[in-house]
Amino acid sequence: MPKRVDRIVLDNSDVIIKNWLKIVSENRQNDYTSSISDELFQSTNREFVNVIFDSLASGGGLTKELESFSERLVNLGWPLSYLTDGLQTFRRVTIDFVLSQHDQIDTDFFSVILDRVDTWVDPIINKLVNEYSGSWEHTVSLQRVALQELSAPLIPVMRNITIMPLIGTIDTERAKQIMENLLTGVIKHNAEVVLIDITGVPVVDTMVAHHIIQAAEAVRLIGAKCILVGIRPEIAQTIVNLGIDLGKFPTKSSLRKGFETALELTGRTIQREKKQETIVEDIMNQLTEG
Amino acid sequence: MRIPILKLHNYLLISIQIDLDDQSAIQFQEDLLNKIYKSGATGVVIDLTSVDIIDSFIAKVLGDVVTMSDLMGAKVVLTGIQPAVAMTLIELGIHMQDVQTALDLEQGLIKLRQELEG
Amino acid sequence: MELKPCVNIRQEWDIVGARQLGREKAKELGFGTVDQARIATAISELARNIYLYAGIGKVYFEMVDHLGKKGLKIVAVDEGPGIRDLSQVMQDGYSTSGGLGAGLPGVKRLMDTFEINSEWGEGTEISAVKWVR
Repeated sequence: MPKRVDRIVLDNSDVIIKNWLKIVSENRQNDYTSSISDELFQSTNREFVNVIFDSLASGGGLTKELESFSERLVNLGWPLSYLTDGLQTFRRVTIDFVLSQHDQIDTDFFSVILDRVDTWVDPIINKLVNEYSGSWEHTVSLQRVALQELSAPLIPVMRNITIMPLIGTIDTERAKQIMENLLTGVIKHNAEVVLIDITGVPVVDTMVAHHIIQAAEAVRLIGAKCILVGIRPEIAQTIVNLGIDLGKFPTKSSLRKGFETALELTGRTIQREKKQETIVEDIMNQLTEG
Repeated sequence: MRIPILKLHNYLLISIQIDLDDQSAIQFQEDLLNKIYKSGATGVVIDLTSVDIIDSFIAKVLGDVVTMSDLMGAKVVLTGIQPAVAMTLIELGIHMQDVQTALDLEQGLIKLRQELEG
Repeated sequence: MELKPCVNIRQEWDIVGARQLGREKAKELGFGTVDQARIATAISELARNIYLYAGIGKVYFEMVDHLGKKGLKIVAVDEGPGIRDLSQVMQDGYSTSGGLGAGLPGVKRLMDTFEINSEWGEGTEISAVKWVR
């Protein structure tokens, strides 16, 4: 009996394909593929249904063609729901069609039809879902590594002075990483003063402040000084409103001011070689003399 | 095991290079105070570069020795605390607020000199 | 059953022995230097508690595996007096021995999981796990 179902479906592939294309195109109205051009959408649909039938003709299950087709769609960034919805529609269309070929159907045959169609469609859906989630997991793990890499660079700007710009949200895991980088970096660069720049940290809540304070205290223990810079007005407000005590180590609103303090702490001052006004004066004098 | 205490002018230099057990830590505390008393040293550098663990007990002994030396007129600087040790101490909740620190022996001596002369 | 590495705590020197063994195990499992220091310090605190309050006990180590994540479990057991008020000992700064009072809450912060079981008069069992990152 299963063979009979196979034959009906394969012999009438034209009609089934026509029905399928019609439904899939109708469904498209309120759909995720709206950014894709009609032409591409139609040709992809045709390709899709052809691969499904190829798979059926070769006895069902996953074929090389189907695999490379889905792989290509994954890489192009087509949504997974396009494929799963397409296959579910295929299931419905096929069952409807086979049923419509028979005036009377006993339950046994009915279950054979369902069973047969399921053994075509289900392995394909499973494989596709696996493929997609595998590709997502891969992306997520890549991004995690990327995030760790950009986590916290330490920049030695001058002998004994280094800067650590913090960017993005800080969670506990990242805070530990940052602290490790900070401390080993201080030792490596023999830094007396470290400027931690939080200009790029969007939100400073109690947890983030706690991590920053811990880092600053650890820096003090290994024998260096910490200056917190880049405190925007709204961050100053939240820090005070939350009752966070940052009083134990110096803070500055901008990196520039912090850097000046760092220079002072390491016994340096900034001096301009010649004041701009005197240069202008010189030019004026030359002009009047000439 | 006794920790050697070296004298250099009016400074005392100590480098701790063993895994400190409680007994050695207390012995060290006693030895250092005696040495300060005998030598009249005004500055002490305790270098912890090769110490890879400080638990709450050792931290307390070190903190106490700093306060005690201060009472006897000698300033103490701890140097060379390893990053891993510093992080562990902070997570333990030990901040050693009143203790002076420096990156290494050299910086420690500079710091002492600034404090004593300035 | 696999034999677990174990250190009996009877005298002060055993505290050093326990944390050295623990550090070795942590290194074998692939922990970084900072985590090694965290683990060794936690063991030191737990072993010292046994020595100070129970007199005799033991610390043993176990490699644990949870959903492919590897970790080191430290278990400290004694048959000492037990702890009367668990919430009190978990407070920062609480100490009956003149210490810094950072011991147990500190261990909890150093490790990833922390469990304490104590019956007044029956002894104490503390277990804590650190996962390899």
